[in-house]
Amino acid sequence: MSTPANPFEQLAYNISLQIQDGQIVYVGTGLPMVGAMLAKKTHAPNITMVYESGGQDPWEGPMPWSVGGAATFRRAPMNMEMAHSFAMAANGFVDIAFQGAAQIDMYGNLNTHFIGGGFWDFRSRLTGSGGGNDLSSLSENVILVGLQDPTKFPAKLEFLTSPGHLTGGNSRREAGLLGNGPVACVTQIGVMDFDPESKWMRIKGLNPGMTPEIAQACTGFELIVPEQIEHIPTPSDDILQVLREVVDPHGIFITFPPRVK
Amino acid sequence: MPSKFTYNEEALENLRIEDASILDRLIDDESFREGNLRKHRGKIDKRITLQEAVSKYVNDGDIVADTGFSYVRTPMQVFFEILRQKKKDLQFIGSPNTNQSYVAWAGCSKYSHNSYIGAEMRGTDRNYSRMVKDGRVKVLSEWSHGSMGLGFKAAQYGAPHIACKQLLGSEMLKYNPFVKLSRDPWSNEPVVLVSALHPDVVFIHCQQADRFGNAKISGPAVNDIALAYACRKVIITCEEVVPELVMRFDTKDTCIPFMIVDAVVELPFGCLPGCCPGYYYWSREWWEWLMRIGLKSDESIGSFLDYWVFNTTDQYSFLEKLMGDLGGLKYLNNLKRLEKAEEYLIEDIGVDFSYEPVIPKTE
Repeated sequence: MSTPANPFEQLAYNISLQIQDGQIVYVGTGLPMVGAMLAKKTHAPNITMVYESGGQDPWEGPMPWSVGGAATFRRAPMNMEMAHSFAMAANGFVDIAFQGAAQIDMYGNLNTHFIGGGFWDFRSRLTGSGGGNDLSSLSENVILVGLQDPTKFPAKLEFLTSPGHLTGGNSRREAGLLGNGPVACVTQIGVMDFDPESKWMRIKGLNPGMTPEIAQACTGFELIVPEQIEHIPTPSDDILQVLREVVDPHGIFITFPPRVK
Repeated sequence: MPSKFTYNEEALENLRIEDASILDRLIDDESFREGNLRKHRGKIDKRITLQEAVSKYVNDGDIVADTGFSYVRTPMQVFFEILRQKKKDLQFIGSPNTNQSYVAWAGCSKYSHNSYIGAEMRGTDRNYSRMVKDGRVKVLSEWSHGSMGLGFKAAQYGAPHIACKQLLGSEMLKYNPFVKLSRDPWSNEPVVLVSALHPDVVFIHCQQADRFGNAKISGPAVNDIALAYACRKVIITCEEVVPELVMRFDTKDTCIPFMIVDAVVELPFGCLPGCCPGYYYWSREWWEWLMRIGLKSDESIGSFLDYWVFNTTDQYSFLEKLMGDLGGLKYLNNLKRLEKAEEYLIEDIGVDFSYEPVIPKTE
């Protein structure tokens, strides 16, 4: 028996389950990368990974530290340019893109600009959009990834960097954006999705030990609680072994509590 | 001074830009073309030193483009030389524009066309955050990587602007004077118009170039092909200067033609402490020091830059310091080995990619 999955390992596993075999997956660094590589090593061997700096379909190798690093274009048949890699999303060649953010609201809109005030009097300025806005605007499906707590999941964003379902309902389509927008939000609590009509975030499945009350306590807006909630299993020993020994053998991203980066 | 163009008014107000003429040069297609018409047509030997290139081509107030991808094929040694020569009031643009942080701290760059500042998993940039907050850096526009990339592409293709689906619904639309919400004239669907962008000066690090400026980039070009065509002054820095015949017999990876290039600087190790595909890995230790200690406070970044920039003279004295602190020639050789192994140009079985932080956790 392996040691049970820690919260990051469970998160990586849940991310991997969002990916279907054969898809083109746009990945950033961190847990989404771990989840995508786990998917490739388990149920989805035929996915293709693409990266915003231009790398695509790299030969299997070490975990990339950066979305521009060598592992992202390792023996790649060709490399794209940045504008081209986002054009692939606009043209319908990106099935899934992963997004993290400092703040996520009930419609899956994201803030990566600043927290604690306004544009001029923030407490902390963050990275800015990077490719986040492009992927949120253009990809067919967006999967949000985050650690859920009421400040990171507020009722109102301090700045809307990347669009989710905007103000809900049909507003994303009316704004002229492409794709389905956020289809899932994967956190240490479980997996949320969005109500098909209102586009408001709702609980889809909960990790072992989690309850709707815990989920709500970790959220700054009211979550929709459906009648049926999935119980997400813990990853099997086989999967944990792949995760720990093959995908992230140095524990760069799955060590808990997190190691110093 | 009255501005030449009609900008997004709401953005000017939100960004508190009183004199919009500061924005004009970035989107002035006409003066860009005029400048290009005056460029030297002949195939001449364009090689000069880095010191000469920065001195001659970077003027105070210029709009400077960040190239590569934060620390991937980015000529960081050029930025260090800009610091040493104490250039002033530069506008910085790039997707990402990570290297603006320390350039701004040294007083060289006051203005920011921002898309992404930070080093991914290594964290956000506390120095840039402080400088924006206390007004030492003024943000002139907010971008996504892709929309800024399209501005460079529009310039490369000679199009005054380009319509796209990025930025729709985002508050960045209200913080960017160079983009406008519009409608597609055929479908009537909402689109965002992005102006063609012409930074004043760009340094692009290539693995190889010939003495006339024909240049090869291997690995992701990111925005650099577009930038080479979009910018007013183009300087190629390269690991190696190769004979022209190399360019003619092996056209693989050649993407920048000599006629758009103003100068060529042979600059081995020019990307250190970042990486150069095919040549060397980034110094993970240096970046850990920068992000965790260097950027922490004004004092810490001051002594950090004193040590790494103001007390070095060029890439070689920088490299000697780096090797001196981290294990000599063996360290340098390991940087070469890691890069080639990760790209799978050499056998990677037996190559250790693991990294142990050099700063104790209790720091």
